[in-house]
Amino acid sequence: MSNPITSIKLVLLGEAAVGKSSIVLRFVSNDFSENKEPTIGAAFLTQRVNINDHTVKFEIWDTAGQERFASLAPMYYRNAQAALVVYDVTKPQSFIKARHWVKELHEQASKNIIIALVGNKIDILEDNENERKVAREEAEKLAEEEGLLFFETSAKTGTNISEVFLGIGEKIPLKGLEDEHNNNGLNVTEDQRINLANTANASENASACSC
Amino acid sequence: MSFFSSIRQKAPFLERIAESFTPTMSRDEKFRLQYKLPDDEHIIDDTNTDITFTTPYGTNHKDKRRKDENGNQLAYVFSGKLFLTPHFLVFRDAFDQSSCVMILNISTIKRVERSPSLSYAFALLVTLYSGTQILIQFIGLRNRSEQFCEKLKDMLKHNIPNAKRLPMFIESCYSNFLIEKNILRKTDIVAPKAGLGQHFKYPGQPDITKEKAKLRLWFEYFKENGENLAIIQNHTFQKLVRIGVPSRMRGEIWELCSGSMYLRFSHPGEYQKLLDDNRDKTSQAIDEIEKDLKRSLPEYSAYQTPEGIQRLRNVLTAYSWMNPDVGYCQAMNIVCAGLLIYMSEEQAFWCLSNLCDIYAPGYYSKTMYGTLLDQRVFESFVEDKMPVLNDYIVEHDIQLSVISLPWFLSLFYTSMPLEYAVRIMDIFFMNGPKTLFQVALAVLKVNGDDILQADDDGMFIAIVKHYFQTLHESAHPDSPDLKYRQITKFQELLVTAFKEFSVITEDMIIHERNKYKKTIFENIETFVKKTQMRRMPKTFNLSDKELSNIYDVFYQSIETHKISLGTGSSNMTFDVFLQFMGKFCDWAKPSKNDDDPVFKKQKQTFLKKLFNNWDSSKVGELTVNDVVLGLDKMVTPDLLEAMNYFFSLYDDDKDGQLQKDGVLQMSEGLLLLTTPWKTGKFVDLLTKKAIEDDIADEIVKETSIDQQASGSIELPSGVTIDEEKYKAQQSERYLKAASNFLQRCFEYAEPLQIDRQVDLLDLSDDNDDKPDEAKEARKKKFATIVANAALDPTRPTAIDLATFRMVILADETYELFFSTTLRDSIHLEEGANDSGNNQVLKSMFDGIIADGRRVAERVRRRVDSVATNKSRADSIETNTNESIHTTDTNSKMIDLDDFTTDHLEEHEELLNNSWEDMDDSAEQNARQERKIEPMSPSASEKQKDLIEFEA
Repeated sequence: MSNPITSIKLVLLGEAAVGKSSIVLRFVSNDFSENKEPTIGAAFLTQRVNINDHTVKFEIWDTAGQERFASLAPMYYRNAQAALVVYDVTKPQSFIKARHWVKELHEQASKNIIIALVGNKIDILEDNENERKVAREEAEKLAEEEGLLFFETSAKTGTNISEVFLGIGEKIPLKGLEDEHNNNGLNVTEDQRINLANTANASENASACSC
Repeated sequence: MSFFSSIRQKAPFLERIAESFTPTMSRDEKFRLQYKLPDDEHIIDDTNTDITFTTPYGTNHKDKRRKDENGNQLAYVFSGKLFLTPHFLVFRDAFDQSSCVMILNISTIKRVERSPSLSYAFALLVTLYSGTQILIQFIGLRNRSEQFCEKLKDMLKHNIPNAKRLPMFIESCYSNFLIEKNILRKTDIVAPKAGLGQHFKYPGQPDITKEKAKLRLWFEYFKENGENLAIIQNHTFQKLVRIGVPSRMRGEIWELCSGSMYLRFSHPGEYQKLLDDNRDKTSQAIDEIEKDLKRSLPEYSAYQTPEGIQRLRNVLTAYSWMNPDVGYCQAMNIVCAGLLIYMSEEQAFWCLSNLCDIYAPGYYSKTMYGTLLDQRVFESFVEDKMPVLNDYIVEHDIQLSVISLPWFLSLFYTSMPLEYAVRIMDIFFMNGPKTLFQVALAVLKVNGDDILQADDDGMFIAIVKHYFQTLHESAHPDSPDLKYRQITKFQELLVTAFKEFSVITEDMIIHERNKYKKTIFENIETFVKKTQMRRMPKTFNLSDKELSNIYDVFYQSIETHKISLGTGSSNMTFDVFLQFMGKFCDWAKPSKNDDDPVFKKQKQTFLKKLFNNWDSSKVGELTVNDVVLGLDKMVTPDLLEAMNYFFSLYDDDKDGQLQKDGVLQMSEGLLLLTTPWKTGKFVDLLTKKAIEDDIADEIVKETSIDQQASGSIELPSGVTIDEEKYKAQQSERYLKAASNFLQRCFEYAEPLQIDRQVDLLDLSDDNDDKPDEAKEARKKKFATIVANAALDPTRPTAIDLATFRMVILADETYELFFSTTLRDSIHLEEGANDSGNNQVLKSMFDGIIADGRRVAERVRRRVDSVATNKSRADSIETNTNESIHTTDTNSKMIDLDDFTTDHLEEHEELLNNSWEDMDDSAEQNARQERKIEPMSPSASEKQKDLIEFEA
């Protein structure tokens, strides 16, 4: 294990059609598709990236955006270590929803969850800045008040997408460091989970761990 | 506003679905559900019969069953029960339901005649438009059979208009096309309007010869067993569906099996009308639909064309208008896109409707309760049928519904390739919701070994995803047996689902749903409440408990709204608002005063003012947030704010001034708000204190000083309180406050041109001996003031906020009203159980007596004052000083209503006029003075500030 792996469970939340799935598609496959089917329930994807000699494996839960699916969200953000709260910079309503999500995550999700606020679709602004309906300053203010990372991205052009994930990756205590400090219970569990994945006899180990 | 913003009334069928979860399903409901008949069908009569079904197209000679040994044609005779409903004749075989079910729309009947019968007492020969003849031979008593026939005759008459529409409807059915083309050999005939597949090809790569063979099988089936609105469904029918319906036939079989064909027939033109009536309208559902139109089965070419997208838009929007409670839910776009490949818009619309109501009940509702419920049911099936797998999943903290939820919600469309998903749909429409559970269980079963290697949700998902993508591959690639090798994974899945899991029945599903319904609904309600509470606006004067209670009462009041089902409007209309406020506010509670039209009008007027003031979006309805913000303002502990808010209610044009009318309305409003005290229903703090003082006095009189000194004060059991006296005094005080208010308003109104009308000041100068008459007189005078003020054009016309506040502060009753009484009259922590509704004055007095601590304090003061003062009149003055002393040294004893300071010189000056007029006994006068003294320090300070500031 010269290159330790940290596994990060990450969930995407945000109003319908703000580009959550597209952000994931860009990050995972470096691809873009104009007419993506809406996510039903949630989609699950993984991607590995290297951050400072560490391999970080993102386990990404991409959720459905429509309001009525909100009652399902807790199922997906439980145990999540990171969340992307996505809004569309051209849709003010989507920013209001983003505020709600941040509030809900702070109340309901894991205590030390890392949240990134992501304003997507900035490619639309390239042609016409007037299309912007959510001021950068407003979002920055929210991010500062709530202690969030903040990015403006375009899944279409790829702008800032990997930065979002790298930013989160850097915030999460990595495996190597953790061996030294070993302070975060949640991450210890996550690491055990990964070790299990690499072990042939998973269930035996699992029972051993739970002792 | 999304979650609860539908402002339309709930659709009744959702209620029905909710009821269908309960075990008590009526016979008619069961019957409708079983044969997928529309809501308005019910069993009019039933009878035991034998029937014979003979189509005009000759019989299939290959079918040996239909000939006897001599080669003569034989017709099958089925024994069973025949049911009559308003629009249908339904027959089912008595022994084996699946061997023969005939569903016959009455409008397909052309002729009914009595038939001679040898072995039966009574028989009818029914001839259909298609030429098919049905011989119905009645078993049982002759008069019962006659009765049935009479009823059938009535129904035949009723169905004459429908019969006229029949030929056109039949033309829209592909089965009819097959028959006309192949039997009648019509050459100019074109296929009826069908799904997008007609032009854009059907999904998958169909084997042309296989498709043709299948079509031919269906053609043969129709020839023998009838078609569309008059068909017999038997084992062959089920077999034909199971092997996969040919693409061209699929739309019709889906609508036949789902019963949506009957809806389409009984609602001619309704789909188009929905579209026409709502053209150019917008709604949240419409916006959501637009977002998803291009994202619905994008892999199917038609949905990249304007035509395909338009059809999808039409059906989804029409549905959202028909059923605004559901509106639009993501996944409906995918399901609907799936339907539209095989069905015309109208077919798809009705099919979607039945799908949402019967097949996936509550799946797409605003709370998605059906989805959550069926996930729980599915989990329980897995627990029961696959315990090893279930243990593994639990042990590894894998959440099953994370994987299975999309299967149910999008009916496997997003999981499997289209060509397989539609095969599942074939069986789903025929067999009902259990199909989804059976297939889902089979997926787990088939992949069981792999899943037992998965460590987390991610791996689990990957395994299943891979499986769905390889359904076309051989299930046994390594088998030496070629035949075995040829079985695809999909075939294996079907066999597993419908053989192994045939144990899962509709009854089981209903049973399990009932089991978990309560928990799921409670969870939803908790979740919805949590979400809403989180999104409530910032309030200053309401505790979390009060907010929570307001939320509960708000939604309890809106009876049409079901939180867990997500149906009905969640907004409050004025009528509901009246009841809602009645649960919280003493002055809005239902009372016998409501019978008085004047009072009723006052109440309505004031509450309407509040309602309009709170209605932030000006739509004539209040959201829970509106109500929270409004109540927050009303219960402000700040005297100044309370007065300002009340003034603003009447300042419609927000110019800071009130015209004559405004002042009059305001005084009416105050009259209303103070009614419970005016009528003696409640006592305010001033009266309370007076009573306590008097009780204390009595105790002092009756108890020896020694006892008091020892500190053990016993409340006398026999203290009698003259309730009527206090009531009258309080009532007097409130009436006086009201008249003073009006009088002063006009007196101080700008610009000052007041002719002093001395007689109007003396409102209470003649109330000594005949109180009733006096009251009448006062009322009259009051009316005169009102009339004068309103009618005299030379009268000054406006008062501003500062004047209003001054006028209020000039009257201790009204000042107390805005500083405490009003706030105390709004009980935001109760209301849910309607307590205190009929609280009478008696109980208030009881409360006072019971609160011995407070009375004891009074007694102590009395004791002190008695000790130093001989005469009772003197004692009153000194008592004030004494009590200040007591309070200083014993601050723990301070009560909220313990007004012990006296800084009211200015106030008293203002009040002098009115007190002069009091001509009651000396004792009462004294009490009045006492009442002036007790003012809370904060209130009087504020008042001083106010007056200085405004001077």
